[in-house]
Amino acid sequence: MAAQPATTVPMISPAEMQILISRAGLVLNPGQMADLVLAWRQVAGLIAAIPQGRKLTDDMALTFRLPPPAGATSASRAADKQTRAEVDGGSVRRTGQAARTAPRKPAPKSARSAAAGPALKAATARSPKTAASRARKPATKNTAAAAHTTAAKAAAAKSSARAKVKLKAPTRRPASRRR
Amino acid sequence: MTGGSPPFLSIADASRLIAAKKLSPVELTRALLARIAAVDPQINAFLLVTERQALAAARAAERAIAAGRRGPLLGIPVGYKDIYETAGVRTTAHSRILAENVPEEDAETVRRLHAAGAVMLGKLATHEFAIGGPAFDLPWPPARNPWDVRRFTGGSSSGSGAAVAAGLVLGALGSDTGGSIRLPAAYCGIAGLKPTPGLVSRRGVIPLAPSLDTAGPMAWTAQDCAILLDALAGYDPSDPASVPGPFVSYASGLDAPLKGLRVGLLRRFYEHDVPGSPEVLQMMARAASTLRSLGCRVTEASLPSVQDYNAVGRVIISAEAYALHEATLKTRLSDFSRVFRVRVLAGALIRAADYIAAQRRRTDLIAETARVFERFDVLVAPPTAGAPPPLTEQRPDDGFSRPLLTTVANVAAIPSLVVCGGFTATGLPLGLEILGPAWGDAMVLRVGHQFEQAAGLRGRRPEL
Repeated sequence: MAAQPATTVPMISPAEMQILISRAGLVLNPGQMADLVLAWRQVAGLIAAIPQGRKLTDDMALTFRLPPPAGATSASRAADKQTRAEVDGGSVRRTGQAARTAPRKPAPKSARSAAAGPALKAATARSPKTAASRARKPATKNTAAAAHTTAAKAAAAKSSARAKVKLKAPTRRPASRRR
Repeated sequence: MTGGSPPFLSIADASRLIAAKKLSPVELTRALLARIAAVDPQINAFLLVTERQALAAARAAERAIAAGRRGPLLGIPVGYKDIYETAGVRTTAHSRILAENVPEEDAETVRRLHAAGAVMLGKLATHEFAIGGPAFDLPWPPARNPWDVRRFTGGSSSGSGAAVAAGLVLGALGSDTGGSIRLPAAYCGIAGLKPTPGLVSRRGVIPLAPSLDTAGPMAWTAQDCAILLDALAGYDPSDPASVPGPFVSYASGLDAPLKGLRVGLLRRFYEHDVPGSPEVLQMMARAASTLRSLGCRVTEASLPSVQDYNAVGRVIISAEAYALHEATLKTRLSDFSRVFRVRVLAGALIRAADYIAAQRRRTDLIAETARVFERFDVLVAPPTAGAPPPLTEQRPDDGFSRPLLTTVANVAAIPSLVVCGGFTATGLPLGLEILGPAWGDAMVLRVGHQFEQAAGLRGRRPEL
C-alpha cells in the first residue's frame, strides 16, 4: 500500500519538554536536559517521516488474538483452519495454533526483573506480538462484526492491502521431532 | 575447512576433529582460555570468564564422547552476550544497574546450547542494555575491534563480534533489534545471522524493544551459524512471539547448488540512501560477480528507502526501550551511561499516536518487502557504508542521526545474514548482507556459505 504523506510533528520547546519530563517522574540536570533536547530533535525528525494519515478501517497492526476457548475441539479448529484458508485466498498460513494453546511455563523468577524494577518485569511478561505473529492472522482480525460469514471475511480481506502481509508458512515439524 | 588450528578453528572443523578424537574438548577449552588471558586485555571482549565452569563442561563433554555421544556442538567453546541470562552466573547487560544480577535460570537459547554440549567460556561485552553504544563511563570498558584495536566493533553485540574474530570463542550469541548482530559481524569480519522473528526463543534475553528483538548466532562462517541455528531454532511456549519454525537442518542443505537463484542487488541502498565508500562499492561489484560465478541470476532490486525503515525502527525502539527502563530511569538515572540516556530518554516524549503510526507503517513495509521477494530469492547489500570507524568517533546520537542499512530486516521481519565480503586496502573487513524472505533462513545461510567458499576470505585472521 502506498504510504500517505508524512505529517508535521508539533515542535516541543525546552520548557515544554521540562514539563513533560517532570510529568514522567524524571529529574534531569541541565546537562542531561541539553542532551535530551538534541536527541529529541533527531527523534522528531524521524516521527515526521512516518506517514500518519490512514483510513480508520485500515488498521490491523495493534490487535491481538485470544486463545481458543477451553472446550474447542479439534473439529472446530479444523473448521477454523478451513475458514482461514478461504480468507487467505487458498493460501493456508501457519496458524500458530500450538503456540497459542500450549500451556505456558510459569514465568521464570528473574533476578533482572527485580533489579530493573516493576516496569521491566511487566513489559517482559507482556511482550507485544511481533509483526511475524500479526502477519499470520487473518485479515479480518479486528472486524469482528464482519467475521460471521466466509464471504464477508473474504471481502474484508480483499479490501485491505495489508491482507497481503504474509510470512510464508514453513513446513510444520512433525510433533515427534519438534525440538 | 577453514584450515585453522586451535584456537583458530571453525566450529565445523573443531567438531570434525573432536568426533575423530584428534582434538579433546578439554584441550580446546584450555587453548582458548589461554588465548583469552593473553589477548582479551587488548580488546575487552569478555566481561566475565567462567574458567572453572568451562573446564568442568569440557570434561563432561569428553566423558560424553568417550561414552559414544556425538553432536556438532559437543565440546565446542562459546560465549554469550551479557544480556543472556545464565543460571548462577552474573548477567549485567553491561550496566551498573544489573551489576549484581545473578539469574536463577538459563535463557532458553543458553539451555539449548548447553544441552547440545557447548562449553560456555564466559559473558561478553555489549552496549549498555543492547542500545547504549560504546561508553567509557561504565564499570567495564567497551570492546575493541581485533583488526585494529583503535576501531569500533559495531554493536551492540560488540564482545561477541570481537571474541569470535579474535579466536577467543568459536561461536557466540548476539541479539539484533536494529542491526546489533550484523553490524559487529561486518566490522569484525565474521558471520552473524538475524533469524526470522519467532524462530529462536528470546526467553531469558534481556529485552530492548520486544517488537523488533531477535536472538541469533555469530561465528566465523555461515556454516558455523547454521550449526548453531540447528540447536537454537525451535518453538518455546514461554516466548509469546515463538512459533514452530520449518523443520529443516540448516547445516545440511548448505551445499545445494545456487544455479538459477534470483539475487536482487539493492543498489539504491548503497549508492543513494546510505552512500557507501569506494571500497564498499568495489566489494559489492566483486560480490555480484562471485554470485554470478555460482550460477545466480543477479539483477537490480528495489525496496522502500532505508530512511523509511529507519524512521519506523528507531521510533519503535526508542518508545519501547524507554517504557522498559522508565522505572529505573526515575530512580537511578545517573547510573546509566550518557550514551544510553541520550538514546533512550527521548522515548519519554514520543506520543502514543506516533508510536502506533510507526507500528502501522511497519505493516506496510513488511508487505512491500514481501512483494519484492516474489521476484527474488534473496537480496544483497552492504550492511555498513564503510570499514569500522575509530572508536572515538562514535557519537551518542548516532542511533538516530545515521540511518542503518541493517534496520531494514528488523522492520521487515525477515532473516538477514552478514558474512565477510572483503577487506579494505588497509586490511579492515567489509561485510556483505544477504536478506531472505520470512522463514528463508536456510536460504540466506546457503548463499552465505557458498559465497564464503567462492570468495576464499576465511583464511585471514586479525593479528593480535
